Amino acid sequence: MNEIGGQPLFLLPFGDIFIYFTPFTLTLFLLALIFTVLVIISKPERQIDIVFGGDAFLAKKISISEMRFRRFMAIACGLASMGAMVTGDLFDFALFTSLVGICNVGIVAAVKSRHVQNAAYQYGLVAMSATVPLFAGAAMAAATTGTLSILELARSSASVVPLSVKGLLTLGVMGEGMAPFYAAKAEMFRAPGAPYVIMCSLSSLLIFLRVIEVVLTV
Amino acid sequence: MMWNEYSVGLALVMLSAVISFVALLREKDDLHRLLIIDLVEIPSLAIIALLGTDLAEALILPGLVVGIAELLALSQIYVTKEGLRERPVRSLHIEVVELAHAPIIISALLVGYGIVLTGFTGGAVAALGAIFFLVSRGNADKYELVEMASGIAWAAWIASFFVFMFFPQYWYAGVMGAAVGILIKVVAKMSLVGSMWGEAE
Repeated sequence: MNEIGGQPLFLLPFGDIFIYFTPFTLTLFLLALIFTVLVIISKPERQIDIVFGGDAFLAKKISISEMRFRRFMAIACGLASMGAMVTGDLFDFALFTSLVGICNVGIVAAVKSRHVQNAAYQYGLVAMSATVPLFAGAAMAAATTGTLSILELARSSASVVPLSVKGLLTLGVMGEGMAPFYAAKAEMFRAPGAPYVIMCSLSSLLIFLRVIEVVLTV
Repeated sequence: MMWNEYSVGLALVMLSAVISFVALLREKDDLHRLLIIDLVEIPSLAIIALLGTDLAEALILPGLVVGIAELLALSQIYVTKEGLRERPVRSLHIEVVELAHAPIIISALLVGYGIVLTGFTGGAVAALGAIFFLVSRGNADKYELVEMASGIAWAAWIASFFVFMFFPQYWYAGVMGAAVGILIKVVAKMSLVGSMWGEAE
């Protein structure tokens, strides 16, 4: 077995599918958990606009309903990231990843600002088209190997999943989280409300780290 | 054998995915992009369907649900960002549909057939009947009850899965609970599609 993430510390079997923690995924899971708790207890930041050439400044108001919606989306995003960290099923991983994509769009979509909504819309289009390689990768892995269980696939010493499938999975996660291309999300990060927006980048980072582990393991 | 049925199917689906991605690339209008994105979703479902096992059937459902959820979320963002507020079309203003008995009969047939089918398929068929009735009458504004029924049915569905997992000897109760639960849930959910748009008042 190719142990990139270390020996599994905990195994919860459902048939041949295992929910498991390795030291690597446990670290990522705890990160997502801590951040979700932070999102639950923290209050949103109020963005300040400084008037150019004067002393005046404007604090942007965030309505309670908008705050509630974004907090809900951020918590859902945290839960989805946690799920993606612990799952031992390629298809479940694809599902959790696309859930992270939807939640990322939802976190910023509540902002009543045209340019933020435009950015969220464009990002949503990318996230949605990324479900094609993501689900295709998972389905093709099942078609070539006969199982979706990551531990089952990791059991043999040689890699059983074709390289193209791994490529598709990585491509899908890149599209959902925009992982190495955070600049593409710059407009989204300009949305007010600090702790929630950071959830976008954290979840993308987590799913990207996890897919690297998955691709190197199977 | 290199070119078995799976490979041919996969090549065809990949080709159609590439065609729709090219269309997405060339299209500049946001609304049309949304429509093409829906088209792009179909190859991903087709690739899952190519598995051709009962596993594929189980995997298509979540894939489809994720696709629909993303599409609904994106169209809601589109409506908000374009500032489209007024939606005056509430029902089909066709005299025959509004006044005749045909919608009731067709809806009743569809709902009855859906109940016989049960499960997800039955839910979809019955929902079609319910939507057709609501659209043709267009006077339904009490949706809280439908939402509640959907929630309860969903809980029953999940509870049935717990029965499968923890009390396998009562599998028959689990099967019936899951079949009825998802039937009602799908009917309620699909009837709600299009009715919960816009900002909360």
